[in-house]
Amino acid sequence: MTKASWSKALFALMLVLLLALAACNSGGDSEESKGSDSEGSSEKDGDKEKESEDGLYSIDDFNAAKTNEGDAIEGGELNFGLVSDTAFEGTLNWNFYSGAPDAEVINWFDEPMLYNDENFLYTNDGPASYVVDDSGKVFTFTIKDNVNWHDGEPVKAEDWAYSFEVIGDAAYTGVRYGSDFTNIEGMEEYHAGEADSISGIEVVDEKTLKITFKESTPSLLTGGIWPYAMPKHIFKDIAVADMAESPEVRENPIGMGPFKVDSLVPGESVTYVKNEDYWQGEVNLDKVTLKVINPSTVVQALETGEVDLVDSFPVDQFPDNADMSNVEFLGMTDLAYTYIGFKLGTWDKEAKEVKPDDSMKMADVNLRKAMWHAVDNNAVGEKFYNGLRWNATTLIPPSHPEFHDAENPGVEYDPEKAKQILDEAGYEDVDGDGMRENPEGEELVINFASMSGGDTAEPLANYYIQSWEQVGLNVQLLDGRLQEFNTFYDRVGQSGDDDPAVDIFQGAWSVGYDVNPDGLYGRDALFNFPRYASEENDKLLEAGVSADSFDVEKRKKVYNEWQQLMVDEIPVFPTLYRSVLVPVNNRVQNYSIAVDWFDRYNLAVTAEEAPTAE
Amino acid sequence: MWKFIVRRLFITLPQVILLSVLIFLMAQMMPGDALSGLIDPNIDPAAIEQQRENLGLNNPWYVQYTDWITGALQGDLGQSFRYKMPVTELVEQRLINTFWLSVATLLITYIIAIPLGITSGRYNDSWADQMITGYTYIGFATPLFIFALVMLWVFGYQLGWFPTGGSVAPGLEPGSFDYVLSKLQHLLLPAISMALITTVNTVQYLRSEIIDTKQKDFIITARAKGASESRVYNRHILRNSLLPIAAFFGFEITGLIGGTVFVENIFGYPGMGDLFIQSILLRDYSVVTAVVLLFGIASILGALISDIILSLVDPRIRIK
Repeated sequence: MTKASWSKALFALMLVLLLALAACNSGGDSEESKGSDSEGSSEKDGDKEKESEDGLYSIDDFNAAKTNEGDAIEGGELNFGLVSDTAFEGTLNWNFYSGAPDAEVINWFDEPMLYNDENFLYTNDGPASYVVDDSGKVFTFTIKDNVNWHDGEPVKAEDWAYSFEVIGDAAYTGVRYGSDFTNIEGMEEYHAGEADSISGIEVVDEKTLKITFKESTPSLLTGGIWPYAMPKHIFKDIAVADMAESPEVRENPIGMGPFKVDSLVPGESVTYVKNEDYWQGEVNLDKVTLKVINPSTVVQALETGEVDLVDSFPVDQFPDNADMSNVEFLGMTDLAYTYIGFKLGTWDKEAKEVKPDDSMKMADVNLRKAMWHAVDNNAVGEKFYNGLRWNATTLIPPSHPEFHDAENPGVEYDPEKAKQILDEAGYEDVDGDGMRENPEGEELVINFASMSGGDTAEPLANYYIQSWEQVGLNVQLLDGRLQEFNTFYDRVGQSGDDDPAVDIFQGAWSVGYDVNPDGLYGRDALFNFPRYASEENDKLLEAGVSADSFDVEKRKKVYNEWQQLMVDEIPVFPTLYRSVLVPVNNRVQNYSIAVDWFDRYNLAVTAEEAPTAE
Repeated sequence: MWKFIVRRLFITLPQVILLSVLIFLMAQMMPGDALSGLIDPNIDPAAIEQQRENLGLNNPWYVQYTDWITGALQGDLGQSFRYKMPVTELVEQRLINTFWLSVATLLITYIIAIPLGITSGRYNDSWADQMITGYTYIGFATPLFIFALVMLWVFGYQLGWFPTGGSVAPGLEPGSFDYVLSKLQHLLLPAISMALITTVNTVQYLRSEIIDTKQKDFIITARAKGASESRVYNRHILRNSLLPIAAFFGFEITGLIGGTVFVENIFGYPGMGDLFIQSILLRDYSVVTAVVLLFGIASILGALISDIILSLVDPRIRIK
């Protein structure tokens, strides 16, 4: 090799080394900058808000119903965006669907037999009305005369009964079969194959159905009765195991709603046409088109008028788009809360109930209370969510206005109080490292499990850890990192194998229509992740679903006591309540996101084309 | 020649089997399963456990593997839990979309690559060449998922030339002329976005190949014989430079798989890539294993095609 080529080779080698060095360096850099970045950005957010208080929003300023402007035209088309980063599954039947996107698709063409009011109570305004006998166990339903399936067949009592038979069938492939169904007389025998029919379900005549329950509870009236019928004349020849994949569910589903499915592209779009024979009256719109919109492009789709409204809107994109001129944002309190939970025991797999354990690290209620006092959730809501999430006080969210105890202040942010409680309970800094030891004088390290996902997950977890550090508690992120969704719930104990390394965890629950918290905090609830149980709790949860509680005032009292018990005992503490925001184009009329809205047939538009944003 | 192909296929078979075992084991090791996303107080945990038992998720991995592989050999890839339909049907639906997207992308890739590569190689170091190499460097450096988003924003939303999501406009009769046209229109923008990025490899490859061939002895001979410049380029140089590109074709297929994952997600185009990501996130094992297996087989076949073309082109590398 000549001298020149040697030097060239050397130069190339140097370049490679330089790159390698730069790569190492940038690796280190990026890690550091990640840390400082998140701090930096949260500071920046803080500054912005100090400058303009307008950067904050409140859910109280939003309406659930659309304000109508102008005159509606006759007919017209509506474009509905299903916000999802994936195709919808396409199990288009209430008895089989499992994902929320499918539910949005079904909502346009089928509806429940029973409507509910704003307190989630079944009403008599829907396709069927009901009467309860004195025992509270026997329900008689009457289906209105003009309610027909899309193929013209009348909706019969046997169609509704058929839903129960399908879900109760041993070969049923969905996940709906649960306590709501086993509470029906004869259901378990039918499920086990010991009986040919369900003794508690009786088709009285073509339009009358009678269901007998084993136990009478107020929960029956808030979602405890399966309200969906299934066209028996179409499904009767299909084996239950094959129903979910049949074309009657996937390609040409029918229902009784205001729109009929006209055509369907699997996973991406559906076109609906007006149902001329809708039972509530004349349907206004001629056509509705539903299509999947990726969350990263939903803003453009709204601005260009490509879609008139969407099923849900990423709340973190709201502040940047609050003044979009061609839409109105509707809002309401979400049926959900975020919480921080404390591990107080384990799950007994044999007995299928929780096993509280007084020797757990978090067993001292004073420690838990101090940790609640130490965090400022209003600041979290304002800094991370622009006020669209806010401090939570009790475990029944305000989305259930009847039962949420607005008087109960929960535990307020007060770090001095937190320190005082810890001092009094014997958590003192013995070895002088600035961190408190437990009353026995041993080092106290609390492991915090938190889920990854979204930009705010990491700074949020860090914020809580810092807040606790400020009152002298040494809290560490479990494994030093955030946990992916599935890992998180595996370790927290979704299968009953709780990871003993987890001391506290941050999770969120969406709550059902029924206010009964037994499924989350009951002694035999697998989802009772804190593994908390007490006799007082058992008593109150039972009282909440007893026959006495059919009286709303009594039930309210029970649940107020329960909310207070949770504030006293703190197996978990709620951190944030959430809001739902939905943008709707100005040309749309009569739309609402309220839970008691069933007037899709009334929807109208004021112009042929959707106005675009300026 | 046939001997070579048969021998090559023999190596491929154990590769596929090994791949299937690996995929299956890795899928098993992922935390959670198809039902763990259903953490919902409104669903009875007992019902979930019942479904787990029915689906055989509680069996040890080798039992599950045997069940799966016997099914797979008979063309039954199992049932998707999430979509509640047979995986074969689901994959078939999506595969058609991805297939056409890939074909379009490959076509556009070569339509862009060949003229650019030839120009750049023939007139190397001219300003045209510098522009083209400049483009390839930018192409190398641009992440596909950012580029695709920008393309969508500019051509989909700002200019409105292309539809912004889905694989076909809602409400058209399948099979009709409008339907085909709409399908074509929907795959054009994702295909162009992907092609503009993936083509830079081929452009660079072709360029250096042409520059290399230009200096070969036989070209000098051809020139000495008095062949015209265009004849030298079209007959002698281009032919020799294109052969390695053709060999590269198999690997191109493999590369497309990675690309479709991003592009399909951004354009809301329901294909295999989109299905793959979602099934992983939701732990829909039967779909994950089926899709990875198909991807794996596609890559192995791609490599096989490359090997075959290469061996046709260049007898020296035939495996003995």
